[in-house]
Amino acid sequence: MAQLDYFYQKDPDMVSREIAGEVILVPIRRNVGDLESVYTLNETAALAWTLFDGSHSVNQIQDQILSEYEVDENEAERDLIELIQQLEEIGAIARV
Amino acid sequence: MDCPYIPELSYSQFGENLLNRIAGKRVPLSGSLELTFRCNLRCQHCYVSYGHNGIPGQQELSASEIQRIIDEVVDAGCLWFLITGGEPLVRRDFLDIYAYAKRKGLIVSLFTNGTLITPRIADYLAEWPPFRVEITLYGATQETYERVTGIPGSYARCMRGIELLLERGLPLRLKTILMTLNQHELHDMQAFADSLGVDFRYDPMINAGLDGEGKPKSLRVPPEDIVQLDLEDRRRAEELQSLIQRTKGYKIHGDNLYACGAGQRSFHIDPYGQLCLCMMVRYASYDLRNGPFQVGWREFFPQVLSQTIDGNYACQQCELRPLCGQCPGWSFIEHGETQKPVDYLCRIAHLRFESLELLEKM
Repeated sequence: MAQLDYFYQKDPDMVSREIAGEVILVPIRRNVGDLESVYTLNETAALAWTLFDGSHSVNQIQDQILSEYEVDENEAERDLIELIQQLEEIGAIARV
Repeated sequence: MDCPYIPELSYSQFGENLLNRIAGKRVPLSGSLELTFRCNLRCQHCYVSYGHNGIPGQQELSASEIQRIIDEVVDAGCLWFLITGGEPLVRRDFLDIYAYAKRKGLIVSLFTNGTLITPRIADYLAEWPPFRVEITLYGATQETYERVTGIPGSYARCMRGIELLLERGLPLRLKTILMTLNQHELHDMQAFADSLGVDFRYDPMINAGLDGEGKPKSLRVPPEDIVQLDLEDRRRAEELQSLIQRTKGYKIHGDNLYACGAGQRSFHIDPYGQLCLCMMVRYASYDLRNGPFQVGWREFFPQVLSQTIDGNYACQQCELRPLCGQCPGWSFIEHGETQKPVDYLCRIAHLRFESLELLEKM
């Protein structure tokens, strides 16, 4: 499970797109995600996605979310850890 | 010709959700690009009637021009992108263009005759999978297939192409354009697809050549046969019956000539960079070599879409429009004008309605 001091990096074979105001992830290569699927991100997940750049820790990402959205800290952490787990499962991000 | 836009949207809840979200807005979600009009086959019914080397004197878009256009359509919100032809695999830079579209996050489908698929191309597609590959069968036997394509050996190459894709688990669909030359093998083509475990569909609506050339029309399956095939296919008949029920009393509101999603959520680009509403409507186009996609989408398309009927267009108020393929594009290709009924489509629609209504009452 993700820890607050972990760093994550996007997989280059998962491309993010913003379509009609919605951020989606499109897997483009074999072994990344389910190629039959498109993944949609809510606003906070979309913000987190931009910060999975290898230089922001989970903690820093959480702080960024808390500074931009009115969400409970515990809830934000729980959601972020869950998002990371899901993105790791589909190969969209990896720990660096 | 089938309308290739949007149908894949139903493949997931995502597509439906997205469509609901953008309801009422014009977003170029779905686009198609003819990489070339050139083809290695010489099909008798082909609508690319300029000759098999494309339009004389016109220069196809280069790979770099296509990449620039892909950048523009991606920026504008395109998600579903169909690469077709001609035969797109005749282009030596096909894989470069395909890979570019994939890397930009487009969900790419490919229409091909399958005869130019090599192990190298199949491997590449397996590594960078398309959303779907559709191969057109022209017959279930070599004799019929090659009678249509005019190229000896093309049947075996198509079979090999199918095999190469299936060996790699690629998402393949088969289809045929039904004509007098192959209608007797429709059921065998369906059985072949069933034996491979892949979906199959057929399109009996052959349109005239893009320059109005009439030869393809001579190969049209008689309307009576088309409707008989509808009736023989229980699922198809039920779908059509359901359509009849759902659209009873159908009426187009207003006097807009264009009543479909073309130019609202979809677009088409020809091999020379001409942006048009769809594959059928080519009489009005915007040159992407001389201007960006966004200008074509935001300024040129609304002008085309604002066209209204002239008051004498018999099809505008026809209740059978949902059963009929009639549209300004069909009309123009058939008659050289946008508001004239295509008799062939009209006969099919009326026959369908009568036969399926009759079936409903039985």
